This record gives sequence, C-alpha cells and structure tokens, in this order.
Amino acid sequence: MKDREKVMDNVATHEDWRVCFSEVGPGLLLFARQWVQSTADAEDIVQEAFVRFWRRNHNLANRGLLYAMVRSIALDLIRRDSRRARREAVVVSESEHSVEPQLQLENESQQALAMALQRLPSDQREVLVMKIWNDLTFAEIGEALGVSQNTAASRYRYGLAALRKILPAQ
Amino acid sequence: MNEDFSELEAQLKALRPAPLRESFVTRLEQAMSDPAAPADGYDKIIRPVQFRTRWLVGLGLAAAAALLLLVRANFQAPQGEKRVASSSPEPTVAPVRASEGAIQNTFIPASHTEVVYHQRDEGLLFAHNSDQPVRRLRSLSRETLEWKNPATGASLCVSYPREQVELVPVSGQ
Repeated sequence: MKDREKVMDNVATHEDWRVCFSEVGPGLLLFARQWVQSTADAEDIVQEAFVRFWRRNHNLANRGLLYAMVRSIALDLIRRDSRRARREAVVVSESEHSVEPQLQLENESQQALAMALQRLPSDQREVLVMKIWNDLTFAEIGEALGVSQNTAASRYRYGLAALRKILPAQ
Repeated sequence: MNEDFSELEAQLKALRPAPLRESFVTRLEQAMSDPAAPADGYDKIIRPVQFRTRWLVGLGLAAAAALLLLVRANFQAPQGEKRVASSSPEPTVAPVRASEGAIQNTFIPASHTEVVYHQRDEGLLFAHNSDQPVRRLRSLSRETLEWKNPATGASLCVSYPREQVELVPVSGQ
C-alpha cells in the first residue's frame, strides 16, 4: 500500500513540474537568452537551474530564487568560457540577422519593438523581461537581482522610457 | 517620472516568447527523472562544511606561524642578555646593563595592520542540501605584523595575503 502511495506521489510530483515548467519555461528561456546567443546554451542554463531548483523546492512559490539561479549560472558560464563569449559576440556583430529568434514576431512593428529591446542597457532589459514575460513582482525581481524593490521598479520605468525613445528613431 | 507606459506595456506583452523545443522538454524530462544525476555545476558550489574546514586550517597555520615567530624572538633575548653580562669588564655595572637589556633587547610587537584591497559580491548560491540561499562575499586583504627590538633597532616584519569568503544567509520570502 505504501509503495503504491509512493508511486502516486511521484506521478503527482512529475506532473507538477511539467505543469509548472510549461508555464515558466518559455519566459525563463527568454531570460537566459540575454546572456547567450544560442538557444542550445540558454536551454542548458535553464535546465541546470530548473532541475536544481525543483529538487530543493518542489514548487514555484519562491520564483525570485529560480531567476537568480538562472542568472548566476549564465554569468558563471560566461566567466568560465570568456573566449567563447568573445567569439559569439563577434559572430553576433557580423551577422545580427542570423541570431535565432527569441520572440514570436508577427509584423514589422513587433520586429521593431524586439530590436529596440535588444538596444536597451542589460540591467534595464533583464528587469523588463522578468516583469513583462515572466510576471514577476518587483519584490521578486529585486530578490533575483540582489537589489531593492524600488531599484527594480526604477529600472523598469527607465527601461520603458528608453524603449519609447528608441522606437520612433527606428 | 509619471509617464503612462500602459500602451507600450501592452505592445510588449503582445510579443510572445518562442515556444519550447520538443527536444529540450525531452532532455529536461530525462534530467528530472534521473535522481542520481546531480545538476551540472553542482560540484562547483562551495559547501559550508568544506569552507569552514579549509578556513580553520588556514587560520590555524597562520596562528601557529605567528606564535613560532614570537617564541623565537623571546628565546633569542635571554641569550643576548648572557653574552652582555659575561663580557662586561665591570661587574658592578653589568647587572644594571643586563637588566636594561632584559627589558630592551627583545622583540616586542610594534604594529598590526590589515588592508582590505578587494571585495566582491559573487551572488547567490545554494549550500549543500540546503533550501536557503546564501550570498558569497569574497574579500582579499594583506595582514602585516611587525616586531621591534628597541635595544638594537632591529625590526621583524611578516606580511601575508589573506582571502576570506563569507557566506551570508539570504532570507527568502
């Protein structure tokens, strides 16, 4: 009887993570893509962070920590492999259009918006990505970035203001 | 800065992130179903127990080295004292010199400085088998200990670098 309960519990847990990941996965991947140029690298980062996070927490109650882990692993990857990062930076600058798409773009205005987003300073862009596509609160964003809630909110507003300035120029 | 960004926010929200690749979901499923395999990079985390052990060993070695230097300096002092007393041509004056020497001809601690020249916040990490995240702060400093012998004017200086890693618990919400 106990074995059966254990099995059912495992199944429930298994389903839980799948449901949770289907909700947060695309946004997490978008968040990780800010530091790496290839989808494969972003997937590696998200996988490592999610597996580690889920084994300890078994739920998504403290999402700020999950994003902090993604960020930390991504930055570690860059530090570990700075040569590759430089190489990737060269490739990106040489062929900007060949970068794999991060967002589903349906028309030219969306394309312009996505390009404007790429031109934002990284500290503003990461807050926008966490707020807009991952629905994190400013408190959660602050926790993930190690800054105050007010700083996170300020970066968000500065990011939107900068985006508005960039857009008409394109 | 009370601009209305609601329209821009709506435009941004209309953009959808690229969907997950099927191969990625399969790979993640395999990683999640394999309880034995730790996540990549797991070994790179500094465990508090290892950290404490290494730090204590380092601290112990530094303390032992400082103690040895002090003991050596104190041992040398009485030898010098005897030489002065035995070579003195005037026995009546010699004890006075010897007692002066006993006070002065020793190395006494003169200064101790610690200069922190680099501090870095290395971000959040999870300690081994712990649900609570910790923030890793690394600081590099140089400690300098100096002893002086007032009788001879000699000085002894020991300087060594020190690296300190602090794990500060971060409270979750």
